Amino acid sequence: MNKVEQLFWDLGKKIENIIIMVVVLFIFKVLFNIENSIVYLIVNEIIVLLTFGIITVYFTDLLKYKITSPISVIINTGIFNAIIFFFGSLATKMPDSPLELHANKGIFYEFITTVITLVVIFAVAYIFAVLRSLFSLWQKKDNSVMFNIMIYFIMASAFSATLYHYTSNYDYIKNAFLVVSIILVMINSIRVAWIAFLTKKQKLSILALSVIMLIIFIINATLSFDSNAAEELQLFSPALLTCVQLIMIYGGIYFGFVFFTTLFHLPTAEAFDRKSQELSSMMDLNSLMTQVFDFKELAETITTITNKVCNSDSSWLLTINDKKPVLNASANISIEEANIITKLLLGSENEHPTEFIIFEEDDLSKYSVNYINFRSIAIAPLGVQGKINGYLVAGRKEGLSFDEDDKKAITSFGDYAAISLENAKLFKESLEKERMEKELDLAREVQYKLLPIKTPKFNNIEIVATFIPAFEVGGDYYDFFKIKENLMGFIVADVSGKGISSAFIMAEIKGVFQSLSGLLIKPYDILCKANEILCSSLDKKSFITATYGIIELDTGKITVARAGHTPILYCNKQKIDVLTPKGIGLGLDCGEKFRKNLKELEFYLKNDDILVLFSDGITESKNDTLEDFGMNRLTDVIRANCDKQIEVIANKIMSEVSMFSQDYRQHDDITLVIFKWNFNNKSSEIN
Amino acid sequence: MAEFNVNVRESGKVKVLDLHGYLDAHTAPELEAAFTKLIDNNSYQVVVNFNSLNYISSAGLGVFMAYVETMRDNKGDIKFANMKEGVYNIFDLLGFPALYDFYPEEEEAVKKFDSSDNSEK
Repeated sequence: MNKVEQLFWDLGKKIENIIIMVVVLFIFKVLFNIENSIVYLIVNEIIVLLTFGIITVYFTDLLKYKITSPISVIINTGIFNAIIFFFGSLATKMPDSPLELHANKGIFYEFITTVITLVVIFAVAYIFAVLRSLFSLWQKKDNSVMFNIMIYFIMASAFSATLYHYTSNYDYIKNAFLVVSIILVMINSIRVAWIAFLTKKQKLSILALSVIMLIIFIINATLSFDSNAAEELQLFSPALLTCVQLIMIYGGIYFGFVFFTTLFHLPTAEAFDRKSQELSSMMDLNSLMTQVFDFKELAETITTITNKVCNSDSSWLLTINDKKPVLNASANISIEEANIITKLLLGSENEHPTEFIIFEEDDLSKYSVNYINFRSIAIAPLGVQGKINGYLVAGRKEGLSFDEDDKKAITSFGDYAAISLENAKLFKESLEKERMEKELDLAREVQYKLLPIKTPKFNNIEIVATFIPAFEVGGDYYDFFKIKENLMGFIVADVSGKGISSAFIMAEIKGVFQSLSGLLIKPYDILCKANEILCSSLDKKSFITATYGIIELDTGKITVARAGHTPILYCNKQKIDVLTPKGIGLGLDCGEKFRKNLKELEFYLKNDDILVLFSDGITESKNDTLEDFGMNRLTDVIRANCDKQIEVIANKIMSEVSMFSQDYRQHDDITLVIFKWNFNNKSSEIN
Repeated sequence: MAEFNVNVRESGKVKVLDLHGYLDAHTAPELEAAFTKLIDNNSYQVVVNFNSLNYISSAGLGVFMAYVETMRDNKGDIKFANMKEGVYNIFDLLGFPALYDFYPEEEEAVKKFDSSDNSEK
């Protein structure tokens, strides 16, 4: 059962109670005359007040969930008051005095008066419930104690009235309680805080309503004190009459207070309206901020809300792009007009304003903006962390020009808008970043696909190749080419820089070397030609280092040229030569200097000789103190393991490198290619 | 990350750039900005003093390649001086010495500009 269902179930139960009480009241009224016995009288008072109390509680509960607008409730109160007034006047118009009527008319008359009185009870109960609800409406503190005390005193007054009715003595007790009750009523009438929260329009309605209510309560109060109706009610139940009297007094005093309070609130009503408008606009923006990440949509909304916040006719939002204000969104103004005004007001100065500016009518004509009929334009800089990245512009076509108050409103709203726009921007950037990372993954995949999946098998030579990509895609490349029977070509290259562009260049050099290796034989020729081709496609800042070589598989003759790449390590019986034949990196010089400086190296491999090619990812691996792994550590590892299988050598090198640089992220691709010459070994026979 | 900064001073007509720290892809834009400023001021004779530069990456090398052409087209050049061995080895391996002038001392590099100016007159 949810809350509302629970409520209605409770109310249903209360209605049952009310019906029971009403039936009891009828039976009692028809059967007994309260003038006959004190016992009857007391029982009568208890039944009447209980009925009244239950009905009041029922209405109070009903109102608790209904009171959204006090106005409608107050109008209802007026209607019920009118009903009371109607019956009150009806009773007054009766020709005979009620006492005589009672004596003459008997049961039927008793029945009719009970029905009418019940209607009055319902009306008064509703009025009292409304007063109770208004009392606690929009109160921060729970002041129900004061109200309850008042109820106790009203009840005390009521019962003392019963006493007075029976004995016609002790009227001072009744009067004392009445006075105290009225004082309490006055105290409780001050609770009119809810008026402050009404809009100006509502306040005007309340002002008018409160006058009507005041008059009608006074009339009803007068009726309840001195009329046939009052006498009739006295005969029905003296206690009830006192209650009605006090409640009518309460209503009169309360609406008197309401009238004056509303009157005093009227001058500030507009300001209050604006503040609450600002507040609700801020709240709108706040909820928007957490939901809308689309920059454009957010900008549009901000301009719309700006018009609400500062009562402007038009507003538009500019962001600074390349030091120029650019229109992002506009509300109630054409893009052309907004652009023209922006240009006139902000375009002439080199330095854009950092402070809030208000242009009055005179200023605008100075800037010759006046032909678009703006009387006043305010420009608020939008800044986050001291950096101004946009402007919020608001314009008024009529009324007063912007004042200090508007400045405050626009500034605080602008601050809020700036943050939300920044959020939207950051969100977009993080999306962008995510996309970039996905692209990097793709580039890495491409790079993998360009490298040989398996190291090829050739006669008389063992080959092992290891490649570890860096987090940011690097541009390492290695490959092996079967040029002819018994002639193998190989390349190890490294594109400068990282990322997607490097991966693209790498793809290009694969194509270049694959085709050149089929056309030309000499490494010198191939590298020179490759330099020529790549010079036309590389940008100024990029270059490629490469080592290209060929091995005659029947003789072990190796011819190799190095275009700026890391040295070739040649290991012969634990002696390591660091071979650095002269050569400039590809793309560094596009003229003669490359050809002139490139030297080929030729030598014959002997059995068990090892050749190591690598990229600078190995030697430039760093530890936590930014020290390089370096050439010496590399040659040491090779020397110590040169009699072992080349797979073992490769593993040793890689584990040394990763141990050395374990506290530092791998910065560059790592490529390692090792050859071992094994003339006439068994594997070659198989092949 | 490692620090880098560049300081520009004058030695006669020649501009001297002092590089400090680590020159890599992240810090290269700073050096690029310095070169752009020199070109804006029509200063094309530049000596780069590498005395306090500890490391240079391929992105750092790329900066010199990007600007040397402009300098040379305007009768200037980028000359390198006071390079530490480790840094020089990187330049050397790539074949830079065939394309750029390297000097052990900054003064020599500056003098070289002056003498070439005189010989032209």
